[in-house]
Amino acid sequence: MKIAYSHLVQYMPENPTIEQISDSLFQLGHEHEIEDNIFDMEFTPNRGDCLSIKGLLRDLAVFYSIDFNQEIYNERINELNIDFENQSEKICPKISFLKLEIDKVPELYKKSLEDYFSDLNLSKNNFFSDVSNYLSYETGQPTHCYAADTINEKLIFHEIEKQEEFETLLDKKITLKDKNAVFSLNNKVINLAGIMGGKSTACSAHTKIVLVECAYFKPEAIIGKSVKYDIKSDASHKFERGVDQDSQDKVLRRFIQVVSEHANIKEMSIVSYNYKENQGIKIPVNVNKIKQIIGININENDYLNYLTKLGFAIEENFVKVPSFRSDIKTQNDLAEEVARVIGYDNISRSEINIPKNENRNYKDIENKLRYFLLDYGFYEVINSPFVGVSSKEAIKVDNPLDSNRAFLRTNLTDSLVENLLFNERRQKDSVKLFEISDIYSSENGIHKKRMLSIIASGKVGLNYQDFSKKIDKKYLTAMFQEILPNEVFDFQILSRDSLDTKIKSEIIALEVNIERFSAEILSYKEASQSPESFAQFNPISDLPSSTKDISYSIKDFSKIRELENLFLSYQSDIVKNIFIFDYFYNEKAQEVKIGFRIVFQSKETTLTAAQIELVYNDLIDQSLKIDGILIPGI
Amino acid sequence: MSESKGIPPLKLVKDRGSLHPINHMKDSIMNLLVSFGFEIVDGPEIESEKFNFDMLNIKKSHPARQMHDTFYVETKTSLLRTHTSPVQIRGMLEKKPPLACISGGKVYRKDDDATHLPMFHQVEGIYVDKNISFAQLKDLIYKIIYSLFGEDIELRFRPSYFPFTEPSAEVDILSEEGKWLEILGCGIVNPIVLENCNIDSDKYSGLAFGLGIERIAMLKHGVNDIREFYKSNLDFLSQFK
Repeated sequence: MKIAYSHLVQYMPENPTIEQISDSLFQLGHEHEIEDNIFDMEFTPNRGDCLSIKGLLRDLAVFYSIDFNQEIYNERINELNIDFENQSEKICPKISFLKLEIDKVPELYKKSLEDYFSDLNLSKNNFFSDVSNYLSYETGQPTHCYAADTINEKLIFHEIEKQEEFETLLDKKITLKDKNAVFSLNNKVINLAGIMGGKSTACSAHTKIVLVECAYFKPEAIIGKSVKYDIKSDASHKFERGVDQDSQDKVLRRFIQVVSEHANIKEMSIVSYNYKENQGIKIPVNVNKIKQIIGININENDYLNYLTKLGFAIEENFVKVPSFRSDIKTQNDLAEEVARVIGYDNISRSEINIPKNENRNYKDIENKLRYFLLDYGFYEVINSPFVGVSSKEAIKVDNPLDSNRAFLRTNLTDSLVENLLFNERRQKDSVKLFEISDIYSSENGIHKKRMLSIIASGKVGLNYQDFSKKIDKKYLTAMFQEILPNEVFDFQILSRDSLDTKIKSEIIALEVNIERFSAEILSYKEASQSPESFAQFNPISDLPSSTKDISYSIKDFSKIRELENLFLSYQSDIVKNIFIFDYFYNEKAQEVKIGFRIVFQSKETTLTAAQIELVYNDLIDQSLKIDGILIPGI
Repeated sequence: MSESKGIPPLKLVKDRGSLHPINHMKDSIMNLLVSFGFEIVDGPEIESEKFNFDMLNIKKSHPARQMHDTFYVETKTSLLRTHTSPVQIRGMLEKKPPLACISGGKVYRKDDDATHLPMFHQVEGIYVDKNISFAQLKDLIYKIIYSLFGEDIELRFRPSYFPFTEPSAEVDILSEEGKWLEILGCGIVNPIVLENCNIDSDKYSGLAFGLGIERIAMLKHGVNDIREFYKSNLDFLSQFK
C-alpha cells in the first residue's frame, strides 16, 4: 500500500522528517520502501488495521503526538428504509447503508481529496467512487457505491454456489464458480462482496443519488477470491486482513462530511444491521508475564503507558483491546506490542544454555555412503520431485505449477538419466552422479521410501590411472564390494535406444533403499572431507569447449616434476582444465611417456582454432625450454 | 610406476566428487545446532493439513493455505509440507520438555523465479523449557549468525508475523554493499501451539527459528540465481569441493 509522507506528517505537530518516520515504522515492524516521498508499505497479514492513514497514525502515536480529528457529520440522520435481506449473517455480522442525494456533481475537489489522487498518481472515476476510495485510504474501511436508482428490487446478501457470469465495474468479465459471497438483485449477482462491485449498478459521472454500503465481511469468505478471479482491489486486500467492525457509523458520517464539502446534500438516510455484537477482548494486566516473555525489566506504569498510546484501554486491571486490533488475544500478543515499542534491537541478549544432547548418530550410515561415493568421484545432485510421467502408484499433485509435471516421481533414476544427458551434451566424458532422497507412492495409502540412486557413464576418471578405463558393471560392483563385500547389488545397464543422444558408452545405474546398507559400512575410512570453507561461485560458460593433447617422452626423470608443475600452474583465460591422461614407463626404452589433455573454453566467445593454437603453442614452447623433454614428432 | 627408478608420483591421481552445496550448507548448519545441544528429528514431506497448518495455529483463512500457495495431493487429502515446522510439532508430541529439536529438509511452495523455487530447503529449530524469553532467543540467533557469517557481521531484528510464534521477528544481516538482507525468521512459540502439543503453556515456553538454506548458500557462495543449484551441472557442482 502506498502512503504519502505529506499525508501523514500533516497530522504530526512535531513535523518529523521522512527518515525519522521511516525508522519508527521499521521499529514497529512495518516494512517499506520510499520513492518520491511515498512510503510503499508491506504490512504483515495480521495488521490490516494499519492499511490507512488513520491506522498508521494510531501506531505512530506511540512515538509522536498525533492530531488526527477528522470532521464528521454529527447531526441526526433519518432512518433509511431499504428492502435488504442478509441470508449469510455469519459471513457479514454487521452492515450499514447510507443513501444520499446531492444537487450537483462537483467539478473540482477540495485540497485533501485532490491531493490524494495527485500525490499518489491515481486515476479518478466518478465523484462518489472517488470519495469512497479516498475514505478507504483515510480510514481503512472500504465502502461500495451503487447508483441508487439501480437498486430497485430487494437487495440480498448471501453465499451462493453456482456458475454465473459477472461483469465488474472495471469492465472485466468473469465466471463465478464454487462458493462466493455476493449481493444479488433479481436473482442476479451485482456485487462480488468484498472484492469488487458490478458494472450494472455502478455509479457514473452523472450519479447524484448514491447508496453506500459499508460492511464487515469475515476474512475467510473473502480470502483467495481476488487471486482466483484475477481482480486486484484495495477492498479485498483490506477485507482479507479484517476491518474494524465497529467503525461503520463513523465512516459513513465522514462520507457525508466529505460529500458536504463538495456539494449540497438534498436528502440522506442511514441504516445499520448488527447481527452479532462485537464483544471485545479483555486481557488481565500481568506485567510479570510480559517481563518473562520478553526477558526485560519494565515497570507496570511504562507498560500500561505504551499500551494506552497504542489505543488500548485499561479497565479494572484488564487491558481492553480496541475493536480495530483483532490480532490481539493473549499476553504474548501484548508482549509483542511492548517489544515493538521498546525496539527489538534495544532488547539485550540473555545467555542461553541448552542442555547437551547425546543423540548424535543421526543418518550416520547415509552420510558415510555419501563420502564413500565422493571418494570415487561421484557428485551429489538434488532433483525436483515433479515429473510428467505417471505410473500406477504415482501421487498426483492437485494443483501443479506446470501441468506437464503433475506427478511426484516414484524413482530417482529417471531424474539422474536427465542429469547425465545434460552433462554429456556439455561435453563431459566422465559423468558420475548420485542422489539420496525420499520418494512417495500411493498404493493403499501414502508410502515413503528413502532411496539412493547412482548413475555413471564414460571414463572412470580424468586422470592417467583411470582415463583409459570405461565405467561398467564390473567397476561399480568392485567399488561397492569395498564397503559391503557380502552384498550383491543389482546394477542395471540402461539402454540408450530411447534417449536423445549419440553417445554409445554404457550407462550403469543402481537404485536401492537406504535400508539395504547396514552399520557395516561405518568402518569405511573416507578420504573425502567436508569443505572447510564456502567456495565462491565462478560463473559457468555455456559456450562449446575443445580439447587438445600433448604427449612427451622424457629420459631424464628429474625433469618430470618440472614439466608437471608447468602445466598445473599454467594460467590462461581460455584454459578450463588440464589433466594428465597418460603416464607410462617404458622399461625397454628407459623413458617415461606423459600425456596432458588441455580443455579450452571461453566465457565470452566461441573459440577459434587460431585462439586455441596460440595458447597450445605457448605451452609447447615453454615446455620445450626444459632440458631433456621431447615431443615425439616435433 | 617405479619410484625406486627415480620416477616421481604425479598429482591429480584421484578425482573426488563433491557434496551438493545445499546439502553441505544444511549439514553445516545442523551440525552447528547439534553442537549447541539440539537433537535432530525427522518427518515426512507429504503432510496433513493438521500438522502443516492447524497445529501451528495457521487458520483456515490464512493465505498460505490457498491452492495458489500450497501444493495439495491426493484430492486435497494431503499436501507437500510448506515448511519444516510440522516436524517440530511431531517432536513436541513425542518428547517431553525440556526439549530442543531441529529438523532440516525439502519444503514446497508454488513459486518459480530467479530467487524462489517450488522446492527449497529449510532448517528449523525449537527449544521448549521453563522461562524461555525473547532475550534468550536473541542470544541464540546471534550465536548462529556469528558462526555462519563471522562476528563482524551487523544484524538487526524486525517485528514480523508468524501464526506459530508471538512475538515474532525477522532477522536481517548487512551486506558488504550496505543492503539489509533477510536471513531468518524466529519468535517465541505461540502458547496455542504448545497447548496443541499437550504442553502446559503456563509452565513452559519456547523459542523457534527457521532458516532458508538456499538463501544462505547463495550469499555464502555468491550465487545470484537459485536455479543454478538444481541444474545438476558438473561445471557448477565441481566448484564446491
